[in-house]
Amino acid sequence: MTVRAAPIRVLIAKPGLDGHDRGAKVLARGLRDEGFEVIYTGIRRTTDAIIAAAIEEDVDVVGCSILSGAHATLLPKVVAGLREAGAADVLVVAGGIIPEEDRAGLEAAGISAIFGPGSTIAEIATYLRANVRRP
Amino acid sequence: MSDAPSPRGTALRSARELAQAITTVERGGASADALIQEALAHLATATGPAARVIGVTGPPGAGKSTLVGALADRAREGGRRVAILAVDPSSAVSGGALLGDRVRVEERPDDDGRFMRSIATRGSGRSLSHAAAAVSLLIEAAGFDLVFIETVGAGQADLGIAQLADLVLLVEGPEGGDEVQAMKAGLLESADLVVVNKGDRPGADRAVERIRSGLALGTDAPEVLLTSAIEGSGVTELLRALETALLRPGRDGRVRRVAAHLAAAVESRAAERLRAADEDGRLDALARGIVDGARPLRGAVDELLQG
Repeated sequence: MTVRAAPIRVLIAKPGLDGHDRGAKVLARGLRDEGFEVIYTGIRRTTDAIIAAAIEEDVDVVGCSILSGAHATLLPKVVAGLREAGAADVLVVAGGIIPEEDRAGLEAAGISAIFGPGSTIAEIATYLRANVRRP
Repeated sequence: MSDAPSPRGTALRSARELAQAITTVERGGASADALIQEALAHLATATGPAARVIGVTGPPGAGKSTLVGALADRAREGGRRVAILAVDPSSAVSGGALLGDRVRVEERPDDDGRFMRSIATRGSGRSLSHAAAAVSLLIEAAGFDLVFIETVGAGQADLGIAQLADLVLLVEGPEGGDEVQAMKAGLLESADLVVVNKGDRPGADRAVERIRSGLALGTDAPEVLLTSAIEGSGVTELLRALETALLRPGRDGRVRRVAAHLAAAVESRAAERLRAADEDGRLDALARGIVDGARPLRGAVDELLQG
């Protein structure tokens, strides 16, 4: 049997307490249409639950959507948790409302990219295809 | 997730190892075969009862994911090590998939006696991934003893789940199952147990009666139960009915799974051969030859299968 080309797997998560998931759903649907396998986890997930789901689903990318302002605490926790679980190769990206001045800190904490309002699906898909760390 | 060895002391010790093995098996090829072989070799030396696989199917919107989550919680409370394999369709156009079953299932990040994985059908053209049988063997080798495989409800035609599961649970919504549907061949025919979910909604009782009376016309009719996964009612009774049904002697589960895996592999190879012949023009050339009388129809299929 030949080895099949496998789609890139992306977990879309909404950590923390905000319940606004329209953006996350639009992205999930859009990435599906771009040929990704998207695992959507729903709103109000703890970082531990997101990390465990990312491990079980063996995803290439974790995309966190945050509109609550809690990004500075939650996003670095996701990166650290994945590293601890031996999954440092998983790309962590963020979307939502994240102020310009917080970006440098998040990037230093291991967030690979931040997509604010106005980012297009095509742009995000292109970035992910170019940057996933696994074959 | 802890890295503690599972009770069966397998090679797939952590959720991470199992998850990566599943990825490899989904991709197919020699490394996939090696992993399946390893899992079987491990299981051959394992003591204790074999894992049981429950296929859960039914129409979209019947509440399968929520019900499976609730069943998994109850089974876990009863000491089972439980895994959920949730299958959703891949887009025929983009090859992508939206796998949303985790939304309906409570995450339990600290419990290493639970495992959940979402897989896409990836061009199997059916409601089940070609990898499903092999993945369930890996899950068993990782020490889980109860596996729920949830498939998109494909209605009448799709019986793949019945090949690999020890038991098929059909989940209907409160509007489901008019009498004629119940008499039709297909999904209902292969169900070992039927449950009407969303029992909190009006009309659910009547759906139970409809399905029961439809099934009563046949012999060996499956039991029809009522649950509300959201409210939690009927779930304990359903799990008990499933556990009882699993006690009935049947075909060896591992043999069943390996047979289903081989069937899926044959199907997938035939599809690959056909696709290749279509892409490089051999299919059309063959058809042209038959139309022109240059060659007989007989033997054409064998030629395509030989690649």
